[in-house]
Amino acid sequence: MLKRLFLLAVLAAVAGLGIFWWLTIPAVVAASSLPAYTPNLANGLTAFNAGGCSSCHAVPNQPDRLKLGGGLPIPSPFGTFNVPNISPDPSDGIGRWSEADFVTAVIKGTSPSGFHYFPAFPYASYEHAKVEDIRDLFAYLKTLAPVAGKTRDHDVPFPFNIRRNVGVWKFLFTDGKPFTPDTSKSAQWNRGAYLVNSLGHCAECHSPRNFLGGIIDAQRFAGGPNPEGEGWVPNITQKRMSDWSAKDFAYFLESGMTPEGDTAGGSMARVIRNTSQLSPEDRTAMAEYLKSLPPVEGPPRPKKPEKS
Amino acid sequence: MKRVLVVAGALLLSVGAVMAQQDVVKKDQDVMKATGRALGGVLSPMFKGEKPYDQAAVDGAIKTLEDTAKNLPTMFPASTKGLKADGDYSASPKIWEDKAGFDAKIADFAKAVSDAKAKIKDADTLKANFPGIGKACGGCHETYRVKNS
Repeated sequence: MLKRLFLLAVLAAVAGLGIFWWLTIPAVVAASSLPAYTPNLANGLTAFNAGGCSSCHAVPNQPDRLKLGGGLPIPSPFGTFNVPNISPDPSDGIGRWSEADFVTAVIKGTSPSGFHYFPAFPYASYEHAKVEDIRDLFAYLKTLAPVAGKTRDHDVPFPFNIRRNVGVWKFLFTDGKPFTPDTSKSAQWNRGAYLVNSLGHCAECHSPRNFLGGIIDAQRFAGGPNPEGEGWVPNITQKRMSDWSAKDFAYFLESGMTPEGDTAGGSMARVIRNTSQLSPEDRTAMAEYLKSLPPVEGPPRPKKPEKS
Repeated sequence: MKRVLVVAGALLLSVGAVMAQQDVVKKDQDVMKATGRALGGVLSPMFKGEKPYDQAAVDGAIKTLEDTAKNLPTMFPASTKGLKADGDYSASPKIWEDKAGFDAKIADFAKAVSDAKAKIKDADTLKANFPGIGKACGGCHETYRVKNS
């Protein structure tokens, strides 16, 4: 009897492991699934600016935003992520990657050697991008200067350093679906919705996250504590932004300046350096979409200390 | 008794000193707010085309920006390091830890303002020269200003 129970337990464990293994197999985009295509470099540049690649991947503390040698440390409740080199350097960057490797990395969050990237790389948003945009982006990145130098490994403690676990995170918090336009809305609104939710990955910072680090869907865009440490990321739904016109949003994305004459600081300053390079049409589209976000109450902000 | 008086006096003095530093912080905020009004209330609307170009208003706004540029080098004495301001933002300790970097940023701002003063004559030159000011503001706020949580 005891022996049978033990056997059952072993079987259950093996089955559990099997399910875990199956559930967490890193997804890939096969090269054979990508049809022949001539990349559009101008659109690749747009994808680069909309995607904010240089916000994280540019070498910190130097002025050239096209020097993508990485190295920026990103603190988080799960450890510190060190941003990798995505310059075309053949040994330290992505110079030897195939196009399918790149599409897989950006849309599936899987590395060329087949492990899961940590979701500090915002593939939960990028997965909604058009494959053509990502192919154009790859062609554009290839035109930039290679930067030598491998960056440090991530400093992420157990159990978060078990990459396979990220597969569970992906199962819970990604859907693998491309962006689907809302046909009841204008083409401009849909372009904005696409840019904000896929490449722009605005919600990655402007939404509260649960204890597993997944975005709380009901409070998307409603702000929350800064995942990188100090301060508060603002609510960008109409709950807080109702006195901004769509024009104010567009102007902010262009100049970093609010209607009150304040300017974006902190990591948003880096975001503006990208959005300011987009076409006015794309900024207007993002503005129209952002202005249409229904008011959502965000998590409660800690009370300011009483004045003494 | 004498000793008590001396101690009490010293305490009062240091309380006074801290209060004076808080006043410096408050004044800094007033300067920043006036700067914001010159930008958000006067120059931005003209840049966006919401208000017609008005030379007198532009001159007034640029005068405010020049005052800010003049004040910035002395606005953050080391004695105010670590003091939290009321409201949304405080000065980052990096102002004092990386003084050279901070000084370079406020020099950028002064240059953007003097360029604007020399070049802005009409709506077109405003369009061309206004963004540089915003860039200088953001360039400094990126590193040297922190959000209060």
